[in-house]
Amino acid sequence: MATGPVDILIIGTGASGAAAAWRLSEAGFKIVCLEQGAWQRPEQYPAAHANWELQGATTFAFDPNIRGLPEDYPVNNTESDIAPLMFNAVGGSTIHWTAHTPRFHPSDFRVRSLDGVADDWPISYFDLEKYFDLNDDWMGCSGIAGDPANPPRSPRPMPPLPLGPDGERIARGFDKLGWHWWPSDSYINSQPYRGRNACNNCGPNGLGCYQKAKGSTDVTYLPEAIKNGVEVRTNARVFKITVDQDGRANGASYYDEEGIEHHQSARGVIVAANGIGTPRLMLLSKSKRHPDGIANSSGLVGKNLMFHPYAMVTGFFDDPQPSTYQGALGNIIISQQFYETNARRDFVRGYSYQMNRSSGPAKTATGLAISPVKWGEGHHEEFAERFGKSSLLAVISEDLPEERNRVELDRAIKDSNGIPAPKVFYRVSNNTRRLLDHGIRNAERVLLAAGAHRTEANPMLRAGGWHLMGTARMGDDPERSVVDGNCQAHDVDNLFVIDGSVFVTSGAVNPTPTIQAIALRAADYICRERTDLKG
Amino acid sequence: MPTKQGALTDSDRRNMRVVMDRLIPPVDDLPGAGTMGLLDEIERIASEHDRYRKSLVRFLDALTMDMSVEAEGGFLALSGEQQDEAIREIEESLSKEFANVLEVVYISYYSRPEVHARIGWRTGPLQPLGFTLPPFDESILDTVRKREPFWRQAPD
Ligand SMILES: Cc1cc2nc3c(=O)[nH]c(=O)nc-3n(C[C@H](O)[C@H](O)[C@H](O)COP(=O)(O)OP(=O)(O)OC[C@H]3O[C@@H](n4cnc5c(N)ncnc54)[C@H](O)[C@@H]3O)c2cc1C
Ligand code: SF4
Repeated sequence: MATGPVDILIIGTGASGAAAAWRLSEAGFKIVCLEQGAWQRPEQYPAAHANWELQGATTFAFDPNIRGLPEDYPVNNTESDIAPLMFNAVGGSTIHWTAHTPRFHPSDFRVRSLDGVADDWPISYFDLEKYFDLNDDWMGCSGIAGDPANPPRSPRPMPPLPLGPDGERIARGFDKLGWHWWPSDSYINSQPYRGRNACNNCGPNGLGCYQKAKGSTDVTYLPEAIKNGVEVRTNARVFKITVDQDGRANGASYYDEEGIEHHQSARGVIVAANGIGTPRLMLLSKSKRHPDGIANSSGLVGKNLMFHPYAMVTGFFDDPQPSTYQGALGNIIISQQFYETNARRDFVRGYSYQMNRSSGPAKTATGLAISPVKWGEGHHEEFAERFGKSSLLAVISEDLPEERNRVELDRAIKDSNGIPAPKVFYRVSNNTRRLLDHGIRNAERVLLAAGAHRTEANPMLRAGGWHLMGTARMGDDPERSVVDGNCQAHDVDNLFVIDGSVFVTSGAVNPTPTIQAIALRAADYICRERTDLKG
Repeated sequence: MPTKQGALTDSDRRNMRVVMDRLIPPVDDLPGAGTMGLLDEIERIASEHDRYRKSLVRFLDALTMDMSVEAEGGFLALSGEQQDEAIREIEESLSKEFANVLEVVYISYYSRPEVHARIGWRTGPLQPLGFTLPPFDESILDTVRKREPFWRQAPD
């Protein structure tokens, strides 16, 4: 089935695709979004069921290889130190995300100029600033302005989430050492907001939010976009971005739920399928004009994959605080004491700390970021030491781009439609290793200063590939980048990439507000400069 | 030995119950995980999730095929310490499968209301009740607010 042309076809309805769909629809563009997953029903999320921890380990697991749902595609991660994580549904990985929402720093866009590594971005923090604000407003940000580690920012739409006694204890630990910390910005409602409920502190927001208090794009941007006329076509898995004789994008071919092939034509195409799904699709989209995949004359599609390697340090406390599992998992405290390069250290660039809470009983036993509780003799004692009494500091390291870290098409593994799966090649660099070790040592100091009687470190979380970046990087030079600063492909002037793939460097913070700000800015560019794409 | 489809024989079930008691022993007034009667639930979960099913089959295969265990008259005839030893050997040789078996046993055990009652966890779904969300208390910022801005300027 072929479907008549729309102005813009957006592939993927996650953080970036949904934001762009809304912005473009405000300007009257006719839009179809193709999404391989389906709508979620918040009242059916795991937390609504007694077996929520089993669901978290199986049908709602972060790793698509463990979930293995028909809408997931397998990711060959056997050559990677880190397993990529994602969710495939309307809302994309924001269904799963923790919604911890710091911004990139101005320095993150200028690492070559400042520190002589990697490359500068073609855009700056201040180019994105108003889009960060716009996004905070639409996604619903709880937080408080005044953080000394960041440029001044506008008042947050909602007050911060409470730190809880466990968060306050860690805050005092940072204070004792004279180190920076600040209440996290979070896209979680601390009060009712835009028709969505306030958070009720249930805890595992990585499993979808029953209350719709967490800003996932299925409950933020998309309902508004749909009111503006956007069509979200679900269970539609794109396998090729198609081109005309001149090599310009003219739509995409996809399979529906029954495996029947369709084509949707469009005047412009936006790819928003995340840092793994996007290069996969671009590499699949070979044609005479684009023999190595669409918009890949630089050979950089799929290259420079970055993750943010995480180390996790758990502190065990024995004072009778209320339990450390009450409250949103990772939306408490951020510290950026060690964010920037310091010539006295044996690594370049830096890291953030993000405090994490503990979890429910089963996850405590199976090990949240550390080994499972030991079995046999001593089991119950070790469980008791952990349960409700442990807090974590995650070390989020800046990951610098390296071409050897990459996404390719797997020769053997295919998804449920027979489309080649991505294969990920990724090794943690020596710089990152040293950086993580530094982060672990200092995290231990914070936790002990906060009163922990013992700490335990996981030097690098393998199941920590939450942040997918770099695989279709932006830049001014078509030989060294895939898209320009407006996210427009150098080789194909009506093709745009707007997800984390376009990142030049990774920063040392969770990336999604920056992804969404970039997507909104690209949409604004299209509204302003690409009226030729409007029918 | 389980069938290829993963159906456990009576002897597998007897072995598995004892294994589960070794993994999570009795505590206070609670029996071990095997005696608690979790095996039906574990078999049900395994039947729905291949990862657990395959691992359970391989684990039980390994347990019944272990020559030293056989020589002693089977797993059930071993002393508690010897049983732990046999389990530990499989943990080393089939680490991935063992990890999956341990995971499904832990998840089943720690999903039980009687276990929740002992450890002080409110049982049942987390929602719609959740927990109380108190307001943010700004006084905690007193110290950090004294700090001058220190973010790094960058060229435009
Ligand atoms: C468990 C977890 C926790 C996280 N926590 C945080 C956090 O606290 N803070 C933060 O900043 N970030 C967090 N992230 C990362 C965040 O979710 C992502 O950065 C963000 O969602 C990326 O947005 P995106 O638009 O690039 O892709 P996604 O949100 O992943 O959306 C991509 C969409 O494209 C669809 N798609 C892919 N291929 C195709 C195809 N061929 N055809 C049709 N559709 C396709 C997918 O189904 C998906 O819906 C977390 C991620 C996970 C998994
Ligand atoms: S902790 Fe709050 S935001 Fe997270 S899932 Fe529960 S109600 Fe939603």
